[in-house]
Amino acid sequence: MSSVLEQIEQQIAKLSSKAVKKNTGNIRTVADGVAKIDGLSDVMYNEMVQFPGGVLGIALNLEEDEVGCVILGDVSQLKEGDEVQTTGRLLSVPVGKQLLGRVVDALGNPVDGKGPIAATEYYPVERIAPGIIVRKSVSQPLFTGIMAIDSMIPIGRGQRELIIGDRGTGKTTITIDTIINQAKINKVGLASGDPKFRPVYSIYVAVGQKQSNIVRTIGALEAAGALEYTIIVAAPAADNPANQYIAPFSGAAIGEWFMENGLDALIVYDDLSKHAVAYRQISLILKRPSGREAYPGDVFYLHSRLLERSARLDGKGSLTALPIIETQAGDLSAYIPTNVISITDGQIFLETDLFNQGIRPAVSVGLSVSRVGSAAQIKATKQVGGKLKGELAQFRELAAFAQFGSDLDAKTKAQLERGARIVELFKQPQFNPISIEVQVAILFAMQKGYFDAIDTKKIVAAAGSLKEFFTTRKDALLTEIRTKAALDKDLEARLQAAVDEWKPTFAG
Amino acid sequence: MASAKKQIQQLARQFFKLSLVDGALSAERVTGVLEYVDKHNPPHAAAVLKAYHRLVATELARSQAVVEHAGFAAAPALDAIAAVLAKKYRRPITWVAKPNPALIAGLRVRVGDDVFESSIGGQLAALASSV
Repeated sequence: MSSVLEQIEQQIAKLSSKAVKKNTGNIRTVADGVAKIDGLSDVMYNEMVQFPGGVLGIALNLEEDEVGCVILGDVSQLKEGDEVQTTGRLLSVPVGKQLLGRVVDALGNPVDGKGPIAATEYYPVERIAPGIIVRKSVSQPLFTGIMAIDSMIPIGRGQRELIIGDRGTGKTTITIDTIINQAKINKVGLASGDPKFRPVYSIYVAVGQKQSNIVRTIGALEAAGALEYTIIVAAPAADNPANQYIAPFSGAAIGEWFMENGLDALIVYDDLSKHAVAYRQISLILKRPSGREAYPGDVFYLHSRLLERSARLDGKGSLTALPIIETQAGDLSAYIPTNVISITDGQIFLETDLFNQGIRPAVSVGLSVSRVGSAAQIKATKQVGGKLKGELAQFRELAAFAQFGSDLDAKTKAQLERGARIVELFKQPQFNPISIEVQVAILFAMQKGYFDAIDTKKIVAAAGSLKEFFTTRKDALLTEIRTKAALDKDLEARLQAAVDEWKPTFAG
Repeated sequence: MASAKKQIQQLARQFFKLSLVDGALSAERVTGVLEYVDKHNPPHAAAVLKAYHRLVATELARSQAVVEHAGFAAAPALDAIAAVLAKKYRRPITWVAKPNPALIAGLRVRVGDDVFESSIGGQLAALASSV
């Protein structure tokens, strides 16, 4: 027995006498969350470095005689001459289902006061996007629950769809609605026990936002029962720019875990304008050469490498991205908006004028597009809403033209009447996504002219009444639409009969 | 301002390159550089010398092992350490002993930016930061 103890003691002695090699440097300057360091001759690009007091940083500028590091933490305790050491690790964040329902910071540390996260896996924050061979084309729909989007600008799993508009036009609301809708679909799908059902988990990355806004978003998700399927990565405006720069990449790493493990995930970057601003701040302090609007030359690469990580993988899962960009006075041709428009697979443009007219969501049909197109739409939606976008675009053109004269022919008048009704039909309150089967039923009623006799001002109420009628009395029919995902003759006849049954109940 | 800083760095680097003989720092050449600066007084001479000083100090540190020790450190042991490091870095390494009671026991050897930690104090610090 004593020999065993000796063996262990020898092992301990061996371990304790083993010298540990560290590569070190000294802080030359610290300013605005960036440290210039002498030494660190072995440091790698993007490597985590350790400052005194457990503060971490990332080596971003490897120069001939110094290293530029962004500091991810409290800089107040750091001073000139402090020793810094390399860690040999790239910045990584915890990943996995244990993060669902939690709010974490840019480094994956919990900030919701619900205790530590028992994550077993870590993914590097910076990763090369999947290549061409492993990708699969986008063909599975991701329903936002917003009728205007699902019927005219469909989004597919693995797609990158930009949400762009001025401040206060409802960009965040669209993404929150989408997250809530995923949670609703997940609950129904998981309860059905369908082995083919693929839930969508959501990641909401808040960059440079007010803390109060983030709290409001968390509250909305919690109230809708969507938080349990959601991970929130928060880098609020009060956070240092380094954390705001890292947060979207951390969110992408968390999303990649779902994708790599055969699951589907949705990631919202709210918003990339503030992300670009944080990156510009870091770059200027690091004295990198600045270009247009003082952004560094690699600001396009910053967003392209982030958004390229969203994909649908062959034999695995998908990561759908909804990046948000805030425009100034509706200027789509500004630097960052044009960059992100060119990277993404389409954009949903929200107009201030429409918003102020009470058309919410304020989706501009003419400027919004989904480059995946109808490939990411179920057949039933195509059947009932295939022509809607064209009709609405025609209506907008005619409406502008009709302002100049009152003598309109019957056909034009009919087009205007119909267009006005479609606009009303697409009005939808926030945090109230509509399931795809109900959308099909409402659009079917529109297509068949059931709303034509109803006063335009009462269309919203009529759509609400029809929705309630179907959800409370025609559940079996809705389930059939959802499972078949296409309208055959029998289903169409039953749908028509149901709408006929509803019509007299609505006292328009 | 930025270009002046660049010029200072470039001149300091040139002086540094001139101070090397077969890749090793030459005391004679360093004296020569200092005499040249004294005689010609280039623009921003003080800043150039400061940058030059840093480059020379970094180079000297690369060929010197600073051995911190808590207790007694015998010269033959330090010679052996220097020999091992010289083999590792493929350049002659000299040693300088520096007592440091904060290490409690063991050694800490610094060669340039590299630190070889084999002290109780260092292990306790690592333990404290990991808890």
